[in-house]
Amino acid sequence: MISDRRTSWLMIAPALALVTVLFFAPLLRVLVISVTEPSFGLGNYALLLTSASIQRTLLTTLRICVFTTAITLVLAYLVAYVLTHARPAAQRLMLLGVLLPLWMSVLVRAFAWVTLLRREGLINKALEALGLIDHPLSLMWNETGVTIGMVHYMLPLGILPLWSAMRAIDGRVVAAARGLGAGPAQAFLRIFLPLSLPGVIGAGLLVFIFSLGFFITPAILGGGKIIMVAEYIDGQIQETLRWGVGTMVASTLIATIFLLMVVLGRIVDLRTLFGAK
Amino acid sequence: MSRLQTFAEDQAEILAASRRTLLKGGLALGAAAAGFGGPAQAAPKEVVLANFGGDAVKAMTEAFVVPYEKATGGKMVIDGSGPSNGKMKTMVLAKNVTWDVVDSGLGGTGELGPAGLLEEIDYSVVDKAKVTPGFAYKYGVCNYMFSTVQAWDTSKVKEKPTLADFFDTGKYPGKRLMRKDSQAMLELALMADGVPADKLYPLDVPRAMKKVAAIKKDLLFWSTGAESQTMLREGEVVMGWLWHTRAVLLQKDTNKKVTFSFDGGLLQPGLWVVPKGNPAGKQAMTAIASMQAPEGQVKLLAAMGNGPANPAAASLVPSELNAINPGAAENVKVQAKIDADWYEKNYAKVRQGFLDMIAS
Repeated sequence: MISDRRTSWLMIAPALALVTVLFFAPLLRVLVISVTEPSFGLGNYALLLTSASIQRTLLTTLRICVFTTAITLVLAYLVAYVLTHARPAAQRLMLLGVLLPLWMSVLVRAFAWVTLLRREGLINKALEALGLIDHPLSLMWNETGVTIGMVHYMLPLGILPLWSAMRAIDGRVVAAARGLGAGPAQAFLRIFLPLSLPGVIGAGLLVFIFSLGFFITPAILGGGKIIMVAEYIDGQIQETLRWGVGTMVASTLIATIFLLMVVLGRIVDLRTLFGAK
Repeated sequence: MSRLQTFAEDQAEILAASRRTLLKGGLALGAAAAGFGGPAQAAPKEVVLANFGGDAVKAMTEAFVVPYEKATGGKMVIDGSGPSNGKMKTMVLAKNVTWDVVDSGLGGTGELGPAGLLEEIDYSVVDKAKVTPGFAYKYGVCNYMFSTVQAWDTSKVKEKPTLADFFDTGKYPGKRLMRKDSQAMLELALMADGVPADKLYPLDVPRAMKKVAAIKKDLLFWSTGAESQTMLREGEVVMGWLWHTRAVLLQKDTNKKVTFSFDGGLLQPGLWVVPKGNPAGKQAMTAIASMQAPEGQVKLLAAMGNGPANPAAASLVPSELNAINPGAAENVKVQAKIDADWYEKNYAKVRQGFLDMIAS
């Protein structure tokens, strides 16, 4: 048993070394810069409390991520529910529909939304032709546009864990509830929904964490006015060269994500969520 | 490409796009032609010129590399991997500098210079007389000129608009376009507010910010040159402040439906900077001096629309190119000129303030 363990450690040692050198070491360096530039101490972190600019960026990020997560969860739940109860042939077709956008570049998808949502875009033109609106709707260049683009990106990430959670629910318990006299709504609300809740929480956290680091979608669909945290960090590192501030925000973001992962790990089995089981 | 783009970066992109539509036969001059007939004594150190790649590599090879190699017998290599401020800082701090001469701008000298990350320009080698007055600085020297100009959609704005009209959403309803950066935007806003072009500096930042903030809900902001072009071409905005190179392309693409004017524009320099501890040492200055020759600069104007930095180039510019040359006398007259000193002291803070204002 012991020697078995040693062998497995030896076997993953190269991978572990690679991750340490290529991932943890630079990460550590980011952390070090955040407390040493321009001078040693927590001066950069104090900006979290004092800088209106950083606070606004974080709040914008938080707001967009919460909305994105909420909308994604509702839509993903519906799709996952139908997917779970569909016949195998339909299921395959639906899965393809879910996975196809996942393989498309985020840039391409953002520009596709521009074509649809802009002032003289497809949606506004169609609505005007139908006589439903007089003036073009402001569908993008604002948080609405950013949220639409992000929800679209996140849907597969929401659907897949939810589907996996729902498949694990024993269909017979719902049938049993119906047999004991519960209506369809009651059976869903009292049996299926509670059983799928860990999946909902897992998918929600997953989507939320991914949303936090979004860069391209807000930059393109936000009309330049929606600055989320990833773009803020990039500006500090590449342009204004305030590396201390940039790395501080990056470290804060990583710490937040780490914390959320810990919370996530307590609620659901991470290995199930990421398909390792 | 949605990160804020510099002018030099955008130039590379324009050329890359034009290559697809134009056949430029016989222009494939390479650095390989160099090396013949070098002098007997030890050749000077190789100079690496960093720019933003694409066809800017080809344009600069013709304009700068070929004449330099012919004149000095040395070798010049172009690295088109894109020298952002962040990359230069990383190189200098790691003491692993691979670039000698870098295509940068006031954003470069302003942030890198005071931080001790750039060499000072040696004006005993580089000739100040070959630079438009006011565009030779401690940490950078003008390489070419570009302008930020006002462009408008003639289908929605019937008469040539003034800068003040940009802020008059009653007169011309519709969205307007600005760059997601304070540089040039604050200057144009102040001129729109009535500040004379020669009395802009020191910039009255609060006044400019207030002016911009007043129409914020009607503003969109571009990060890349391509974005600015698309927004105007596709009718998303009625007016916009953008680089003259993109305005020229718009005029051509839309058959003058979108047009522009240098009136009330801001003339800005593209700058050569030298990262601290550059490998070729003083040879970088010799290279910069060689690139001051007016003939090469005119070639760059023809290829990329960049205005020559050397006043002596004026007589060599073909008249049809003067309409798009930001540095042509008649265009200089109607524009304001950027003040680098002010930027060195204030850029970082003001830029962040500008971003905060548009994001709030």
